[in-house]
Amino acid sequence: MMRKRLSIMLMLVALMLPVMAQQVEVISLSRLFDEPWEPAYFPVLNQTGERLVYQTDDSGMKMYDLTNDQIATITTDKVAGNDVCWGGDGKVYFVSSEADENHLIYRTGRCFDLVTGQTVNVTEPQHGAVRAVPATRGAAMRSDAQNFKSSSNIGGAAWTEGSRVHVLVGGEERVFSPVDSWAGYLWASLSPDGKRVAFFAAGKGIVVIDLRGQMLAMLGNYEMPCWYNNDYLVAQNAKDDGHQFTSSQIVLLKADGTFKTELTKPESMTMMPTCGGGKIVFTTIDGLLHEMRINIYD
Amino acid sequence: MKQNIFNLIMAAMVMALTANVMMAQQPHVYINPGHGGYDSDDRNMVIYPFSQGDSAGSWESKSNLRKGLALQEILQKKGYKTSISRVTNTTADDLALSTIVALCNQSGADVFYSIHSNATGTSAVTNFPMVFYRGYTGSPQVANADVLAADLEPYLYASQTTVWTNNYQIWGDWSFRPEWGTQGYGVLRGNRAVANLSEGSFHDYIPEAYRLLGLQYCWMEGWNISLGADKYFDRLDQYDLGVISGNVRDDRIKRLQENPQPFIVYGEDNLMPIHSATVRLLDQNGNEVQRTMTDTLRNGIYTFKYVVPGTYTVEVSEPSHFSQTAEVIVSANAATYQNFYLKRVRDTPPEVVDYSPVWNEGDPAVKCSEQIVLSFNWDMDSVTTCNAFRLEPQVKGSFRWEDSYYRLIFTPDDAFDVNTHYTLTLDKSAEHGGGMAMDEDFVMQFYTQPRNHLTELAVFPYEGAQVHYKTPTVELRVDSMLDTYNLFQKLRVLDSEGNELAWNKRSIKYNKKGDNYGFIRVPLTNDIEPGKTYHLILDRDIADTAGIHLPAARDISFTGVNAGAAKPGMTMFEDFDHENYYLGLYVGYASADSRFETGLLGGAIVIDYHFSRMDSETGLHYGPDWGLEDADWEKPFVLGDKLGMHVWGDMSYNDLVLMFMDHMPYTDAVAVPVCKIDFHGWRYVEMDLSNFEPGVDYFLKEISLKPGSELMGMTGTLKLDNMIRGKSSGINEVPVAGLKVKCDGDYIVASADTWVQGIELLDLNGRVIKSAGGNCLNVANVAHGIYLVRVYINGRSATQKVAIN
Repeated sequence: MMRKRLSIMLMLVALMLPVMAQQVEVISLSRLFDEPWEPAYFPVLNQTGERLVYQTDDSGMKMYDLTNDQIATITTDKVAGNDVCWGGDGKVYFVSSEADENHLIYRTGRCFDLVTGQTVNVTEPQHGAVRAVPATRGAAMRSDAQNFKSSSNIGGAAWTEGSRVHVLVGGEERVFSPVDSWAGYLWASLSPDGKRVAFFAAGKGIVVIDLRGQMLAMLGNYEMPCWYNNDYLVAQNAKDDGHQFTSSQIVLLKADGTFKTELTKPESMTMMPTCGGGKIVFTTIDGLLHEMRINIYD
Repeated sequence: MKQNIFNLIMAAMVMALTANVMMAQQPHVYINPGHGGYDSDDRNMVIYPFSQGDSAGSWESKSNLRKGLALQEILQKKGYKTSISRVTNTTADDLALSTIVALCNQSGADVFYSIHSNATGTSAVTNFPMVFYRGYTGSPQVANADVLAADLEPYLYASQTTVWTNNYQIWGDWSFRPEWGTQGYGVLRGNRAVANLSEGSFHDYIPEAYRLLGLQYCWMEGWNISLGADKYFDRLDQYDLGVISGNVRDDRIKRLQENPQPFIVYGEDNLMPIHSATVRLLDQNGNEVQRTMTDTLRNGIYTFKYVVPGTYTVEVSEPSHFSQTAEVIVSANAATYQNFYLKRVRDTPPEVVDYSPVWNEGDPAVKCSEQIVLSFNWDMDSVTTCNAFRLEPQVKGSFRWEDSYYRLIFTPDDAFDVNTHYTLTLDKSAEHGGGMAMDEDFVMQFYTQPRNHLTELAVFPYEGAQVHYKTPTVELRVDSMLDTYNLFQKLRVLDSEGNELAWNKRSIKYNKKGDNYGFIRVPLTNDIEPGKTYHLILDRDIADTAGIHLPAARDISFTGVNAGAAKPGMTMFEDFDHENYYLGLYVGYASADSRFETGLLGGAIVIDYHFSRMDSETGLHYGPDWGLEDADWEKPFVLGDKLGMHVWGDMSYNDLVLMFMDHMPYTDAVAVPVCKIDFHGWRYVEMDLSNFEPGVDYFLKEISLKPGSELMGMTGTLKLDNMIRGKSSGINEVPVAGLKVKCDGDYIVASADTWVQGIELLDLNGRVIKSAGGNCLNVANVAHGIYLVRVYINGRSATQKVAIN
C-alpha cells in the first residue's frame, strides 16, 4: 500500500538537484504512502527515523510508522500537528486548543504514548502560549502559567521564547540572546551529540551556538533547521510574494558555515524538512511527503 | 504593626491574584503588517508626484505598517496583549511567511491579523474591504476564523472617509483561490491562532492610494480593526473613548488628474481634497479640545483620537475656503464620521480668459466641426453660464464642463452651417461658483468653411445588397481621410435580433496618406446566414481627420446569400478551372496579369490590373482567340437565352460587360452589361439576353472590364468563376429594397430607398424603347400594353413589369 520507492523514485528525479557529486550524493528520493493520500504538512521524524507525525487538512494529526506502513490518528485537532515534537522517551508531545465563550484560546499540553496508544493531558488548559519542547530523555511543556517535565531529568533541550534561546544542560537552564532580532527566535534544537544548538533568528537567519551561548556560525536566511547529523543541518529555503510561496527548496548546510548545497530545486516547492535516523523527510506545498537519503563525502 | 504587615501581604496577594486573573483573560492579538521593505514583493503604486520606487510614495508595506502600529497602540490602550511581526520597513524585517506563522504560534496569540490592502491588478477599478481565513468559505480550518472575519468587516465598511464601490466580502481562501487547491495564503497555513488576512481597501484605486499615504487614515483602519477584535472578544463595552474622523473636500472643484494617465474616481472622490485645512475639536463651551490638520497628500483626511464621549463642534478652516462647523456626538468605543464640503472664497468677478476658435476678419475660415471653448478665471456656475450663452445664428448643441467648471465646451448637435458668420455672446449674467456675475458681456465671432459633412462615396453592403455569406467584407468610402481612432467601433453589423457581429480586427484596412479617398475595410469574423437579413449601422460621428462627420447615422439592411448555390436548369459554359489555351487576356491602355486559383466553385481566373487611363478605349478583355476553336464558346446565344456568371468584386466601381457578335468573325458587337463592381466578395449575376434581335445567333466574343470610376477603379483585382447558360424564364425581376415602379398617367415613376439614376422602358423582347436620366420617363406616346422597366440605382439595375394603360 505505502511506499513504491523504485518507480516513484524515477518520477521524482525532477525534484532533485544534481548536488555537488564530490561532496553530497542523493541516494534516493521517494514518495511516502501515496495511497491512501491526503495532504500532509509539518512532518516530524522521531530520532530513529522510524516514525513520523504530521498534520492533515481535515483529519487531524497522524502518525506514520515507516517500519510497517501503518497510519494512526493521534488527534483530530486541526492545528495540533503544526507544532509537535517527539520526546526522548519515544512519546509524542503536542498541544491541543479550545476556545472559551469569549473566544480566548485555552491550550492543553498532551502526550501520546505509542505503547499504550493512549493520550493523556500533561497540563491543565491555560490561556496563552503552551509549547512542547523535546528533550534528549523526555520532553517539557513551556507556558506562562504551568510548566511540565516528563521526568525529573529530561536531559538536554533547547527552545526559544521571544528573542531568547533557552538551553537546558545538566539540569541547568541557560538563556542566550546572541543576535538582535526584533520579531524573535524560532526552531531551536540540540545537535545529536548535544554540543551545539541551532536556532533561527527572524531577520537574521540560522544561528549555531555552543552550550555557553558562544556564536559559532550564521548559516544564512533559511527556515526550519533540523540536525541531519552532528555536522550538518537541513533547512527550508522559501521565497514568497507576501501572499503565497513563489519557490521553496530543501538545502543542506554545514553547521560551521563552510558549506551549503541545494538538495531540491527551488521550483520543487519542497518544504518543512525533518531529520531522523539518517533520513530526511519533507513535504511539498500540496502536501506530498517525500523521503530523501543522502551521502556526504567530506 | 503585625496586623498592618499582614494586611499589606494580603493586599499584595490579592493584587497579584487579580493581575494573574486579568492576564489570563487578556486577549492576545498577533499583528502582521503585510509585505515590507520597498522591494520586489512589495506593492508600489506610482502616483503623482512620486516616481517609481520612491519610498515617499504609495507602498503597501508602508500603509500596512502604519495600520499595524496603530492597531498595536490602540489594542494596548484597550488592555490587550499584542505581538507584531515588524515595526520597521526594511527587507530584513520582511519576514518569510513560514516565519511569521511560527512566530504567531510561538506567541500563543488568540487571534492573528495580517494587514494588507488589495489591488485588482487590472484596468478594472474597485474599492471595498475583503477578509480571508483558511479553508472553504463557511468552513474555516481553525474554528471561529469566520466569526472573527464577520466581526471585523462591518467596522471596516462603516468608514465614511473613503468611497466604497461594493459591499465587503468574506472568503475562505480555498474558495477564493480554488486554483491553489488547499495551499491558500501563506500566513494562514499552519497558523494555530484564529487568523484573518484583511485587505482593508484597494490601493490601485488612486484616490484610495492617496488616502493610504495619510497617517490619520491608516490609524483609523487600525481603530476599526480594534473594534472588530472588541466585538469578537465581547469587549465593546470595555473602552470608554471614541474617535472622530472625516474628509475635507471642496464642495464643487474637481479632483486634479495629475497622474501620468487619467484615473477613475467614484462618487465624492470626484471632489478636490483640501490640503492643510486646520480642524479643531471644540467642547460645548467653545474650548479647543484637540487640533489637527489635513495633510498635503491629496486625501483631506482628519482624525481626532481618544475623545471622551460627548457633544462637540468640529471646526474646519482653510484660507482659500469659507470655514465650516458641524456638531458631532462621540460615543464610547465607536467612530464618529463627519465629512466637510467647503465653499471656496471667490473675491473677483468672473471673466473669459481664453477662448477658441479665435478668428478675425481676413483669417482662414473655421472648420464647421469646431467646438466653442471658453476658459474662465474662476470655476463657473453651470446654470447661469449656460443661460448666458447665445449664438447667432442659433445652433442647437450641448455644453460640457472641464477642469472643475473652469472650461466650458459647446458642441453643436450637427456641424455649423457652411460659409456663415457666427457671433457668440456670453451675457454678463454668467456667475462663478461664489455667485458673483461678470462685469461685462463677452463677444466673439467666427466664419465657417464651405464644407460641413463627410460625403459618402460608396458603402458595401449597400441598402438591399445580397451578400455572399462567407465572412463578408464591409467597406465605407468617403471624400476625405477618416480619423481611424476607434473607427471600427463606429460601424456595426447586427443580425435580425440585434446581436452585434464581430469584426476580424486583425484584417482591418484604413486609409493612409496619399490614398484617393478615405476608407475603412473590415471583414466579419464569422459567416452570415443565407436568407437572413442584417443591418450595417454607420454612426454619425464617423469623422475625418478634421472632425467633419457624416450628416446622419445610417441603417443599411442587406441579406445573406450563397452565391455558389446550385442553379437548376443551367449548364456549364466556362468553368475557369484552369488555363484555356483557346482563351486569352487582352488589354487596352492597361497592364494586367492573370492566374488561376481556387475560387468559389473550383478554380477561378484572377486578373490583377492597372488602368493607365480612364476612357472608353481602356479596358480588359478576356475571350477566345478566334484563330483557334473552343466548342463551348462557338455555341451561339439567341434571344431568350440567359447567361450566369460568378464574379468576385473589390468595389472598383468598374463595369463588367459581355461583348457578343452576331456573325463570326469581326462583326458589330452587342454589349450586355453584367454588373458594376460595387461589391466585395463573390456574387452571382444572371443576364437575360433580351436585347438580341430575334432569329439571330450571337457568339460571346469577350468578357470586358471597362473603367468606371477614376477615383476608385484604376487598380484592382477581378475574379471570375463558373459561367453557366440556360433558357430565360421571361421576365427577371431583381429585388431592390424599397423599389417601386408605377405608371401614373403619362409617366412611369420609379422610387427607391436610394438615388434612382436612370430608367429604361423595354418591350418584352428586351429592346429598349425609351430611356431617361432620373426617375421619370414620359410614356405618353407609347402604345398601351405590358412592358419591362429597368431602373438604375447606384450603377445597378433592377427590372420590373409595368402596364401602360
